Amino acid sequence: MKTKVENINRNIYDIKNKDNYEFKMEKGLSKKIVEEISKQKGDPDWMREIRLKALETYEKLELPTWGPDLSALKMDNIATYVKPKTNLNSSWEDVPEDIKNTFDKLGIPEAEKKSLAGVGAQYDSEVVYHSMKKELLEQGVIYTDMETAVREYPEIVKEHFMKCVPINDHKFVALHAAVWSGGSFVYVPKGVKLDIPLQSYFRLNSPESGQFEHTLIIVDEGASLHFIEGCSAPKYNKVNLHAGCVELYVKDGAYLRYSTIENWSKNMMNLNTKKAIVGKDAQIDWVTGSFGSRVSMLYPMSILNGDNAKTEYTGITFAGKGQNLDTGFKVIHNGKNTSALVNSKSISKDGGSCTYRALVRVNDRAKGAKCSVSCESLMLDDISRSDTIPVNDIRTDEVTFSHEAKIGKISDKEIFYLMSRGLSEEDAKAMIVRGFAYPISKELPVEYAVEMNNLINLELEGSIG
Amino acid sequence: MSIKVNETPVRTSRNFSINNIKLDFDIPDQIGSFENIECEAFNESKTRSLATDAKSYIAKDLDFKSPISENVKTKKITYGNGKLLEENVFKKANSKIRIETEKEEIKIKYEFDDENLELVNQIEIIGNKDANIIIEYESRTENPCFHNGIIKTIAKKDCKLNIAIVNLLNDKSVNFEAIENELYENSKVKYTIIDLGGKTSISNYYSNILGEKADNDLKTIYLGKDNEIKDLNYIAELRGKNSKIDIDVQGALDGNCKKNFKGTIDFKKGCKKAKGNENEFCLLLSDKAKSIALPMLLCTEDDVEGNHSTASGKVDAKSLFYIMSRGLSYKEAVKLIVKSNFNKIIERIKDNEVKEEILKEINRRLN
Repeated sequence: MKTKVENINRNIYDIKNKDNYEFKMEKGLSKKIVEEISKQKGDPDWMREIRLKALETYEKLELPTWGPDLSALKMDNIATYVKPKTNLNSSWEDVPEDIKNTFDKLGIPEAEKKSLAGVGAQYDSEVVYHSMKKELLEQGVIYTDMETAVREYPEIVKEHFMKCVPINDHKFVALHAAVWSGGSFVYVPKGVKLDIPLQSYFRLNSPESGQFEHTLIIVDEGASLHFIEGCSAPKYNKVNLHAGCVELYVKDGAYLRYSTIENWSKNMMNLNTKKAIVGKDAQIDWVTGSFGSRVSMLYPMSILNGDNAKTEYTGITFAGKGQNLDTGFKVIHNGKNTSALVNSKSISKDGGSCTYRALVRVNDRAKGAKCSVSCESLMLDDISRSDTIPVNDIRTDEVTFSHEAKIGKISDKEIFYLMSRGLSEEDAKAMIVRGFAYPISKELPVEYAVEMNNLINLELEGSIG
Repeated sequence: MSIKVNETPVRTSRNFSINNIKLDFDIPDQIGSFENIECEAFNESKTRSLATDAKSYIAKDLDFKSPISENVKTKKITYGNGKLLEENVFKKANSKIRIETEKEEIKIKYEFDDENLELVNQIEIIGNKDANIIIEYESRTENPCFHNGIIKTIAKKDCKLNIAIVNLLNDKSVNFEAIENELYENSKVKYTIIDLGGKTSISNYYSNILGEKADNDLKTIYLGKDNEIKDLNYIAELRGKNSKIDIDVQGALDGNCKKNFKGTIDFKKGCKKAKGNENEFCLLLSDKAKSIALPMLLCTEDDVEGNHSTASGKVDAKSLFYIMSRGLSYKEAVKLIVKSNFNKIIERIKDNEVKEEILKEINRRLN
């Protein structure tokens, strides 16, 4: 008998609002379209130039020759910019009713009330709501949407924008840089430690459109931040595209924890790019849950430049029917005595496909680097697929490196043991799946957002049997 | 000419530079004859020299239990080292040996000298009965040697084969080896690859494990130094129920040497209760050496067990200290540690003479 893990109840995520926009860019991608987006955004000249240069790069670069099939993605059918019928609001009451209802159902304002220091909510291409606790403002913390940051903090943005992730990194980064819209900008000044997290929520409502939000976070020396990112979209039959970009700068002695719950609908191509540059004695921890989307190609990266820099990656991927989730983690050790701890788990069922694709590179000057990678895959049936493709590139001898991976099904011995303790077979299997996911699910910030709590319960601890 | 060889079965990001290896190398157009081939039933005392340009010599001259002939099939291989090198073998092979095994221990030794610098060979081993086979490539010259070969092994039902490939070419040589196995029901193939020689040594190993309870065990040692390149691409596809693959690779890198290890275990649909284990350990003897490993697990069957692990690091300081406190020099101590890592794999070779040659070569390379 096979273990059955029910599909997540997506009712709350699948609420479709009428595609009610103020402006929707014509489909496809051209210089004219990029210029029009730039005009709509009121970009300064330097930003317009970045967009146009990125478009040129996009045209030159090829699609990846590896990974999931992206042939369903037709850029000519994707609208790169959709402006919802509202401006940026700082009061929840001012957000239009239909948008507000969606976020209400996802539990965003509730989460804010309970346990967040600030919240940003993006609907299609624009951030519709932003707020932050007053005392943080007084400490000099900046948390705003990217457009406001470009206008109000041009020097900081100019210094950091598309510098951590270069425009020519890959085709979809170039696309992102050409048409980006929305996203969050966070600056935590030196020594300021935020005890409770900030959260941004991205919702893509409009069918056949793309979301290209840019997140830029700078945690200055000795500061500390926990940032949570959530994403969802209703299900359409047409393909939607998400090609966001996250650039994180963790300066000397700083700490950043970046948590993501990605629950895009099953028509989404999620081709997101996330990188962090980590300074001396600084640390970045990634906690990632990938549950949604039709195709995901997502490989967060830590570049450990400073001596003694650290990173931890804790990720879980859950692929069901029709999903091909290609995720993983990349770490580059440049500084001395840098360390990385990677723990990845994946579950495939109903014909879903999970791939752990990763890179560990220890460069020759990273003397004393330590890196330990562990990945485990659980297959719940024989129509699914699970692959592990990790590259380990070691260029110095002063290194302690190990990589382990396991693949398999639920062990009969474990079931037998639990059943001999009085559990039914179903309960035993459910307990094993929960146990498999526990080291990761305990790290997920479920306590901070009601919506995420629902998600974890439904997806991993839902009715099994 | 720049050629791309040793493609992995599944591609990953081009930026990782691991999908294949690019070499600036001209495949020789003209391949002369290769006459220094020795064939020996090594636990009896039969030694014969084989000259492959002398047609139909084998059946007449030699008194092996296993029929040995030149009758090698030219059939495209599944992976291999790329089209150009494969064509080179099929069109220009200067040595072809087909062995249909009977219970026997056979050693084939290819000796390179100033008259025999290029070997393009095909070996076909049809496993009817249990057999031990050693294939050795050795340079007796300081001149660069070129070897490009394909070894095809078919292990029939219940057959147990123990095959060792020993590469003792000189430091200027180029070595390409492509191995392809088919394993049928209840067969067991133990492969031992000793990859020591060559400025560039590229090896491709593919095992198609078809039969129920078929079992393939592959153990390899490699030792690179100076600016040498080692590229090992091992692929095992498990198709039979209860089938098994075990890959263990132990290596050491000195100087500016670069090594790519690509190991793939692919659990194909239907291989219920199959098991696959893969382990690579690379000892780094220099801070300039580069070790890249890509241990892949691909899986489309749930009822399987797959594990892989890779590790790299320098020689353990405590072990070094212990050995050196017993009066050995640093170099001697390192040699001892490397040899102790390799020992369990070298011990699988049944011929003492070959074992000694391997140890001698390890000592020479670590000096």
